[in-house]
Amino acid sequence: MPAYESEGGDRAGRRQIVLSLLFLILAATTLYLPGHVQEEVASSLRSSVLYPFIATQRAVADTRIRATRMEELQAQLDSAVASVSAHRTLAHENRQLRSLLGLREIAGPAFVPATVVRPGTRGSESMLLLNVGSADGVAVNDPVVSAEGLVGIVREVRGRSAIAMDWTHPDFRVSGMAVDGEVFGIVEPRRGSFREEDRLMLSGTPFHAELADSSLVVTSGRGSVYPRGITVGRVHSLAEAEAGWRKSYWILPAVRPASVTHVLVMTDSEAESPDDVLHLFTEEEAVDEEGEDSEIGGEEGAGEGGGGAEGDSQSESEDVGGGG
Amino acid sequence: MKGSWRFWGVVATLPILHFFIHVGLGFSAWSPDLLTVALLLGARELRMGAAAGLGFFFGLMEDAFSVLAFGANTMAMTIVGLVGARSRDLFMGDSLLFLISYLALGKWVRDLLHWLVSAQDIRAPALEMLLFDAPTQAIYAALAGALLILLVGAWREPIR
Repeated sequence: MPAYESEGGDRAGRRQIVLSLLFLILAATTLYLPGHVQEEVASSLRSSVLYPFIATQRAVADTRIRATRMEELQAQLDSAVASVSAHRTLAHENRQLRSLLGLREIAGPAFVPATVVRPGTRGSESMLLLNVGSADGVAVNDPVVSAEGLVGIVREVRGRSAIAMDWTHPDFRVSGMAVDGEVFGIVEPRRGSFREEDRLMLSGTPFHAELADSSLVVTSGRGSVYPRGITVGRVHSLAEAEAGWRKSYWILPAVRPASVTHVLVMTDSEAESPDDVLHLFTEEEAVDEEGEDSEIGGEEGAGEGGGGAEGDSQSESEDVGGGG
Repeated sequence: MKGSWRFWGVVATLPILHFFIHVGLGFSAWSPDLLTVALLLGARELRMGAAAGLGFFFGLMEDAFSVLAFGANTMAMTIVGLVGARSRDLFMGDSLLFLISYLALGKWVRDLLHWLVSAQDIRAPALEMLLFDAPTQAIYAALAGALLILLVGAWREPIR
């Protein structure tokens, strides 16, 4: 054990002070580095020193997926096979009709499934690590969605991994609209007292237009980053009204990023980029609402999965509503 | 035992354990900040410059996962490393209570610095952060760190 000695005064002590100041200046510099340099530094560390931990997280996630109930997976597989069989016939028929009509092939969005890895370290709250990258067709600014709606957007892409930010990130913005296309605005995050109370706000809507509570808000497709029709959330209440000019509404998000473990990245690797995916999400909504109706009607056992999901979203709504 | 291979083994293992639990297993919400514990323990044995360097390196690794405030962890941990090394001139103790207090105070200061350096629009509310979040995590990290050190037997001589 080295003998204790104070570091003041002597030459060695002065050297230590200079070294400390150097590290302090370096640390202060990292705060003000340009964004792309910061990302480069972070990315280098993640792909070198920290890679084993990220690889472990992926392995753990894969193991969890494999450990899911086999019976349930088998049932889903059976349903999927039946669906795909029917779909193949329809797709073939569709192609024939298109060729007959002389229409060019309109490609739908290519969804790339991804597992979400959350670092859980301080400052990484709005960050998602995805196990897909440019090799899978993922590119910067690809929307990240779940079955319920919009989760976030891809910010950085590597060969086999990508980094996305979810909607709680302060820089997140998306052009939103009422599902009927009557009211447009900008959707942006607002911090709650606790992270669980983070919400979205639809701002800049016309003053004369009224949005009913619980009405659906989807992406508008303006800005060509997000396709039109991804569910963003539901109107909770009026947030503010600037005298005679515009209104802002609180939005209950369709997706709580903290609970997301698997997502889909919407790539435009097909011939055409997806410009309207409204049908994908609104059909889901319709199914959910049917499930809700049947639950209200007291039909026990009907739509087990849908009922559970609805229950979750209801309790979630109540939580956020209470926080507001 | 301080300054021995066992002590430095613990200091080297804690960051690996920290990232394994937080990133590898994804247990971020319920796991203590062992990275800060490692820094605080190491800083007591290192000279000021080396302690600041260790803090810089640890902070940079933490910031590799930070999209909200890149550099905030680096800054906070560099200062904590520096102050930890200087604290030898101010505090000396040989009790378990001292160790726990030192770790808890160090972790609280680290969180406070991170909060101060982070941009205003991403900060948690001050009261929640300073009076609830940071103290809870500080006590948790201190207890976990002290327990680990005692279990491994890396702390049998007074902390300097």
